[in-house]
Amino acid sequence: MNSFLWRLAGHLTRGLAMVWVVTTFTFFLIRLMPGDPVQIQYERLIAQGMSPDQAESATAITYGFLPDGPVWQQYLDYLSGLLVLDLGVSVESQGIPVADRVFGAMPWTVILVLSGILISFLIGVGLGVVAALRRSSFVGHSLSIAGSLLHGVPPFVIGIVLAALFTRRWRWFPSGGVYNGDEVAPGFYADFMLNVAYHMVLPASAFALASYGGWLLAMRSSVASVLGDDFLLAAELRGLTSWMRFRYLARNAILPLFTVLAISFGLVFGGAIFIERIFNYPGLGMLLLSSIGARDYSMMSGSFLVITVAVIIANILADLFYSFIDPRVRRQT
Amino acid sequence: MSIVEIARTTAPGVTIENLTIAYGGLPAVSGVSLELKPGTITGLVGESGSGKSTLALSLLGAVSKPGRVISGQVVIDGIGDVTKLEPEALRRARGAKIGYVFQAAQNSLNPLKTVGKQLLDLGKAHNVRNLREAHPLLERMGLNADRVLRSYQHELSGGMRQRVGIMFALVLNAHVMVLDEPTTALDMITQANILQIVRDIQRDRSLTTLIVTHDVGVVAEVAQRIAVMYGGRIVEQGDTHRVLAEPRHPYTRALINAIPRLTGDVDEAKPLPGTPPTLATIPKVGCVFRERCPLRMEICDSVEPPAVGGVACHAVNKGDAS
Amino acid sequence: MSNNVRRRFWRGVWAALKRRPSRIAGLVIVLLFTFMAIAGSWFYPDRLPYDVDNIYAPISWKHPLSTDFEGVDVLALVITGTRGVLLVAAAAGLVTMFVGTAAGLYAGYRRGAPDSVLMRIADFVLTVPGFPLLIVLTTAIDVGTWWKMALVLGLIGWGGLARAVRSQTLSLRERGFIEAARGLGLPTRHIVVKQLLPNIAPYIATNLLLAVTAYIYAQVGLYFLGVLPLDTSNWGVMLNAAVFQSGALISPDALPYLLAPLGAILLLTLGVVLIVDALEEIFNPRLRER
Repeated sequence: MNSFLWRLAGHLTRGLAMVWVVTTFTFFLIRLMPGDPVQIQYERLIAQGMSPDQAESATAITYGFLPDGPVWQQYLDYLSGLLVLDLGVSVESQGIPVADRVFGAMPWTVILVLSGILISFLIGVGLGVVAALRRSSFVGHSLSIAGSLLHGVPPFVIGIVLAALFTRRWRWFPSGGVYNGDEVAPGFYADFMLNVAYHMVLPASAFALASYGGWLLAMRSSVASVLGDDFLLAAELRGLTSWMRFRYLARNAILPLFTVLAISFGLVFGGAIFIERIFNYPGLGMLLLSSIGARDYSMMSGSFLVITVAVIIANILADLFYSFIDPRVRRQT
Repeated sequence: MSIVEIARTTAPGVTIENLTIAYGGLPAVSGVSLELKPGTITGLVGESGSGKSTLALSLLGAVSKPGRVISGQVVIDGIGDVTKLEPEALRRARGAKIGYVFQAAQNSLNPLKTVGKQLLDLGKAHNVRNLREAHPLLERMGLNADRVLRSYQHELSGGMRQRVGIMFALVLNAHVMVLDEPTTALDMITQANILQIVRDIQRDRSLTTLIVTHDVGVVAEVAQRIAVMYGGRIVEQGDTHRVLAEPRHPYTRALINAIPRLTGDVDEAKPLPGTPPTLATIPKVGCVFRERCPLRMEICDSVEPPAVGGVACHAVNKGDAS
Repeated sequence: MSNNVRRRFWRGVWAALKRRPSRIAGLVIVLLFTFMAIAGSWFYPDRLPYDVDNIYAPISWKHPLSTDFEGVDVLALVITGTRGVLLVAAAAGLVTMFVGTAAGLYAGYRRGAPDSVLMRIADFVLTVPGFPLLIVLTTAIDVGTWWKMALVLGLIGWGGLARAVRSQTLSLRERGFIEAARGLGLPTRHIVVKQLLPNIAPYIATNLLLAVTAYIYAQVGLYFLGVLPLDTSNWGVMLNAAVFQSGALISPDALPYLLAPLGAILLLTLGVVLIVDALEEIFNPRLRER
């Protein structure tokens, strides 16, 4: 257990260091942006008739630091604001805190990403086992080729095809939103949940289709390598049932996939931007895109920061989970 | 005396008759006949690629994928011909009646489960609830049973793994045990320990044991009988003392001459010239050893020597006859 | 590499291609796209002719893939769209190759402190979500300039290659490669260039191909999302117009306009997948047994 705590501490330090680097990046991004958006807003507010003092504090609320003053002072102001989850105020829709919008959009993205990963992981791992066990047959070959193709094709291609087929050609599913406000009001009851699930079917399937190929390929090679291990032959010669041997095989083959899972979250969030855009799904990706379109830089850096932190946290959780379920890591001698 | 008691005291014998196993048309084991007498240790010696592992696995009815039993049978008393058993009957015989022990360097344990959990799996697979036997077995081999059962594979040393492997082979009271290179990759002291354990347990439980090894020294130490394999054939077999004292087949002689002695001149050890054949290069007709044989005759090119008195060699058998 | 070794290498390449004819198809596909990128715009004027009376024209010899919402030939759009994207992707691939190989080699060769520092950086680059970062960077950097775009893409994507090169270098070291060469008194430069690089080259080649493909799709994706100005010819611009603007998702007449860039992406992916399959066999002969 001690080694587990050490690992946790190491992860947390590394995670915090990464978050710090990223916040520094977003700060300088806005500060050094061509055209200096901070200065522009300050001047615009004055042009709208504010006094310099009013304009200065309004700009400070938007970006988290005062428009003039030494850079280090601005930087410290910005960081201390972030410490209390103050991400500034939207430039576009004045008065709305960035944090409200970002944390309002986040649950939808998290649900979408998690269900997408879960579905693709289950399908990919299952088919990967089949592809490995039948690797010289037609079924195995076709599975592998289909997996490589879907793995190689960018996610927006799959999203576009699904949208074209199931929201336009056949109008089976809604073409946007997370739920239909005319039919249900938000709350914890069955009709609302069903409505949310109904809206999520297509985006989540697009996700799953776009990423199951990767899991399939990873699982196929993992199973193939475990199949060559002696302990499976030993289990057979000990007369273990085929079901037991299959479980030995599956558990040993799945394990390395969790390390892949840890580094895949960054990619997954990249894919989420496309999926959300294609299906008009109001998550973090859509928020990031619309803020860029509207030149709303405080909103942009806020949503980027939250996406990055979410990825880092997911990364750490996946790695900790891995070290917990692998006895060779858990009980290092 | 109950039937169980009788079974406990009389070990089954194993009779291999005219066994041929081929991988895609290339025979790895060819027309082998060998008898393991009840309650004895037989050593099977050969270089790598001689077919000794294939032969050992055939005792468990296990022929790995592209391989196939072409002809012959492997009869174990009380089980029957294992090459013709139904899959389910074969599974029940493995582990419960025939135990197989892997080389220590090989990872024969599931790395994600403790030894104890895997022991429970073994019991479940064979419908055996009572696994208490494991405790005395492990203690008998000088291990702390409780600690070992709670351990994962990566927490055990090579010698400990080997003993755990023996425990797995015998805990369900199997009476035929096959050890595949039991001492390879172990240090000298551990080697001696393992061999001592094999000898003791063999005597206690009256097992019929087959030890597969490339090390003639191991056979000399524990086996009552020896069988020498070359190119998929058993070229010589017989009583260990007799064969080691006066080897008759030229290959057996070369094998023994190649052993350096602890005392005496190192130069006395004479390596055998040439290389052992692989599956693809084994001659299809005639004697498989002729390319490296000092006693090669014309007949060796065309006729495979029959085993006479445990030796399969034209030159030796001709000399005997005249 | 001596002449002999080189000849044997090419014979291995040919053998791997012949074993499965689909791999030759993959090579042909990728060569076709490369040709389109280099020579495609020679066949067309800078400004493609448009014809507002001939919007979404039926498929014919003159317009084998129909026309778009302005009556521009779709095939011409697909072909001229390859150049900019492929140029940037290839340049970005070079950046990735250079940075990733240098970092991985240095870390694996020196080990110790440089190794852990470089690998922390590589892990960081790998962890930070690349595409969101790319989108954010487009607001601050003028990525319309091809070499800036290439630099940004290449610097975002080097982490994976660095890790692969490092672990290969370490495994070569474990096999006694470096010690043996040093024991012979060979200078470091010689060891790295003549001994290590040729052994790592396969991993670099495979990774490079996949990276270039990823960079092509990243650019197409940026244009598709409308983050970059839509004034160039690019598959992403076509997709953006088809999906978000012209209603090609609804009108069956406009279907070819949507399907053409999708088909191009699918075909390119297929080509790359088949070549990677061949590369893996050429460089890892043990796979041939299966």
